[in-house]
Amino acid sequence: MAEKKQGRLTKVLDYLKHDDPFSKGVAFCPGCGLELLLRFIPRVLGNDIVITGTPSCSAPVLLGQNNQSWHTLSYFGTLMTGAAANATGLVRYYRKAGIDNTVVCFNGDGTANDIGFGNLSGAAERNEPFIYICYDNEGYMNTGIQKSGTTPFGATTTTTPYGTVHRGKNLRRMNLGLKMAMNKIPYTATATLSDLEDLAKKLLKAKEAKERGFCFLHVFAPCPTGWGADPADTIEICRRAVKSNYFPLWEAENGRIRMTKTVKKPKPVDTYTKLMKKFNHMTEADMKILQDDVEYEYCLLGGLSVLEAECQLPVSVKDQGEAS
Amino acid sequence: MSSNHYFKHEGPWSDAGDPLMCTDTGDWRTKRPVVDKEKCIFCGFCAIYCPIQVMVMQSDTHFEANLDFCKGCGICAKECPKGAITMISEGEFVS
Repeated sequence: MAEKKQGRLTKVLDYLKHDDPFSKGVAFCPGCGLELLLRFIPRVLGNDIVITGTPSCSAPVLLGQNNQSWHTLSYFGTLMTGAAANATGLVRYYRKAGIDNTVVCFNGDGTANDIGFGNLSGAAERNEPFIYICYDNEGYMNTGIQKSGTTPFGATTTTTPYGTVHRGKNLRRMNLGLKMAMNKIPYTATATLSDLEDLAKKLLKAKEAKERGFCFLHVFAPCPTGWGADPADTIEICRRAVKSNYFPLWEAENGRIRMTKTVKKPKPVDTYTKLMKKFNHMTEADMKILQDDVEYEYCLLGGLSVLEAECQLPVSVKDQGEAS
Repeated sequence: MSSNHYFKHEGPWSDAGDPLMCTDTGDWRTKRPVVDKEKCIFCGFCAIYCPIQVMVMQSDTHFEANLDFCKGCGICAKECPKGAITMISEGEFVS
């Protein structure tokens, strides 16, 4: 009986080859998507990675408190304005000292998309060999749920409230993953927590592609506290975001986009939005704007993935990795 | 805690040898996951999706939550394909 049961174990456990470097009782909210991601990365990539990060939800845990720490990883805390620049410095030090190391720059969407985007863009242009992971919880959650560039249309946050004057955020969200893929860096990917095998594969691929230059991973990590969702729904939210094409999963090598998961019959976005309180007030007209936005972005992505497959890549881009 | 071999480059000021900080997160819980051993098909979905990674393999037959640290979010109960995990209020376990 016991042997029979052994055969059914999920394949994701095969990717978790290393120990969990974090202590068990860590100060994250119940059902936090970030905690799952943060424990997952060193278990796949190994405990010898160096994480650099900024003030964010991850910082109280990664940085430690007083003179003790929550984990046994090496961590380098930086400012939000210079996250990628500091990681660049670390990488160059390791290269000069002859130490083979994986530097992971682990930031939220506020750093990656808004405050530290200049650094990120510069590091992508210089093709610095490290992995930049952006966990996207669609807002500045640590400071009290303010809106960020990736907050979707209509979402209520403390700076875009719902009332008599305002109806949530009246701007559209930015597509960070696509922005980075257009830089033709060696590896760009989007991932989410409902498909952990896909996430593990992308992490390992990024570790491999890091030898050729800059790698960017955009991971969708729900925040139950900030979004007004049930903590138990964290994984379900990710799953529905993928199934409604709200957050499509794709990867791009040297800017060539390839869908890793195609949804045959996409569900309407309201199957995803009804799980959260932050979209509670949305009328049909509001929902149509969000739906059109999602469809437009997916259409653009689909068109790019077809076009890029047909077009011949310039030779200079192909050789970029080996040259640097 | 595993070996700290990767701290060999750090200076004598490092606190790396100290025991890790640990909060009593089991204290936050209002509901407790209870596993039905008969229904469990040992797929491991509860273990991989648990944010705190507290679902422990019990002699290759079923999974059991480490209640010292389980925050009671209920992801395991939601993701179990067989519905083998139920969230039961902590009040029922008070003696």
